[in-house]
Amino acid sequence: MGKKILVVDDDPNIVDYLVTLFEDNGYTVFSAENATKGIEIAKKEIPDLITLDIEMPDEWGPRFYRKMTQEKSLKNIPVIVISGLSGIEHAIGKAVAAITKPFDRDKLLKVVKENIL
Amino acid sequence: MADTVLLIDKSKSHAEALGTYLERQQAEVLIVSTNDEVLVSIEKTQPDIVIADPYLPDGEIIYILKQMKKTRPLTQIIIISEPEYIDQAMEEFRHDVASYLFRPVKSHALDFALKQAKDRIALEKKLSRYEKEIADLHNAQRLYQQLFDEVPCYITVQDQNFRLTATNKMFKKDFGDEIGSHCFESYKHRTTRCRECPVAATFEDGLPHSTEEIVTSKTGEQYNVITWTAPIRNGLGQITQVMEISTNITQIRQLQDHLTSLGLMLGSMSHGVKGMLTALDGGIYQLESGLNRQDPERIQRAFDQVKQMAERIKKMVLEILYYAKSRELNYQHVDVAEISQDIVKAVRPVAEKYKVRLEVDISQSVGTIEVDANWVQVAIVNILENAIDACISDQDKSEHHVLFKVFLITPERLCYIIQDNGMGMDQETREKMFTLFFSSKGSRGTGLGLFIAHHVIRQHGGAVQVESKPRDGSKFQICLPIHHPTQPLLANATRVA
Repeated sequence: MGKKILVVDDDPNIVDYLVTLFEDNGYTVFSAENATKGIEIAKKEIPDLITLDIEMPDEWGPRFYRKMTQEKSLKNIPVIVISGLSGIEHAIGKAVAAITKPFDRDKLLKVVKENIL
Repeated sequence: MADTVLLIDKSKSHAEALGTYLERQQAEVLIVSTNDEVLVSIEKTQPDIVIADPYLPDGEIIYILKQMKKTRPLTQIIIISEPEYIDQAMEEFRHDVASYLFRPVKSHALDFALKQAKDRIALEKKLSRYEKEIADLHNAQRLYQQLFDEVPCYITVQDQNFRLTATNKMFKKDFGDEIGSHCFESYKHRTTRCRECPVAATFEDGLPHSTEEIVTSKTGEQYNVITWTAPIRNGLGQITQVMEISTNITQIRQLQDHLTSLGLMLGSMSHGVKGMLTALDGGIYQLESGLNRQDPERIQRAFDQVKQMAERIKKMVLEILYYAKSRELNYQHVDVAEISQDIVKAVRPVAEKYKVRLEVDISQSVGTIEVDANWVQVAIVNILENAIDACISDQDKSEHHVLFKVFLITPERLCYIIQDNGMGMDQETREKMFTLFFSSKGSRGTGLGLFIAHHVIRQHGGAVQVESKPRDGSKFQICLPIHHPTQPLLANATRVA
């Protein structure tokens, strides 16, 4: 079985895009449309990498990250921030990479490959 | 200063005796005993008091004294005369004289008469000074009232409870003449005080405060105002009232809005735009990979996504173009039922996704309308989407629906009714909803949709009426003339022909 990626983003079109893209490249992909569900799935599946949107209606990305790092089993999973906001590189200091929308998919795949556990 | 006394008496010795008596009382005395000398000596001495026996041997001097009283009203006259002539003298002089004394003059009577004359001089001097002061005051007050009234700003004076205690003319004209009503009622039609209140801040710290507000006049017009406050203190230095001056900057704001909004708008939309572009990328990727793998299901899904994104991007670009005014309205005759169906098609997917029931009622006989169909569609779609959003945001009810009704309200006017049972709006939201960049949806709204909808409808000569109640839902009624508003006669003529 391929390595596992969790996509956390509130925009279903983008979730669809990322899921297809990663699946096409041999990863097993899960997705969540908000932070709460994201934590739930992460705890169950223990993914090897997480992509995280910053601006979501209920809970913003940074809170998800804080909750995630409080879980022993999750805190070492690498996180790639994918967001439409500029200046996101500082939103989550410990993220392994920050990518702005719209992104170059080859570059994204390269960053994923380099950072996945 | 010594009083100057002019003594006029036919008996020189009697006059000198009186004179000596008066000089002893620090008066400056001049004695005259003939008619000829009287006029000259009045001119020369400018007396404060004239003591006179009016019946001199060479003729009476009643006329001269009366004339003198007219030109020198402050000079007091004391008449001395034989008892048998006193009545006659009183008849002649009446109230021009301070007092009448019998000959021979007794010192007590003379003292009393002099004291009375001096008091009268002092009193009259005081009176004329007050008169002048009151006139000045009156003029000043009138001037300040005029300034207060004519200042081209709205001025109110408010007490601790935000009740109006004074308002100027311009305020009365636009917001009504209701002394004692609350500031927030008159300006904002609210029932409670505003959260951020410069008047309250000034009551607290005694300093001027400034805010920018959107207010609603008694006729429902919206104005942008910039507001400054100043404390009004009583004699003890306590703040008893606060004056609030609001300058109407609607026009400046409108200008500024147009100048700055494009950049601002692009900034506020950039997140949405980036999301859409990413989703478009996704669609293209899936289309590409679907074609490579010969996967028809994936191709279909990808195509739907690309189409949906293209629609959304088109709508946003059109809004930006509309706002940038790079386009005139392009009037065309279009089928109302057809454009109404297109409108329904545009919003149905969202409604279905969030389980909002869409009730569509398009009257059979709606015919055609002369509008810029593109823009009217954008406007109505915006209002419909807003109604669906209001349902999605409402947590109270288990079932949500939006009614979309199209009919001719008169033979010349088309009417759209969009009614939802969503979260509804309070009065402030209702009044501000059509203003640029006002959004009650937080980061999800751009504050453009309803602004453009309202603008488009007004530009077509139409009108929007809104009824709404928090928690109950909202009803929008949009009426549009079915002919181009600037050429209605021509259009009618063509139709008749």
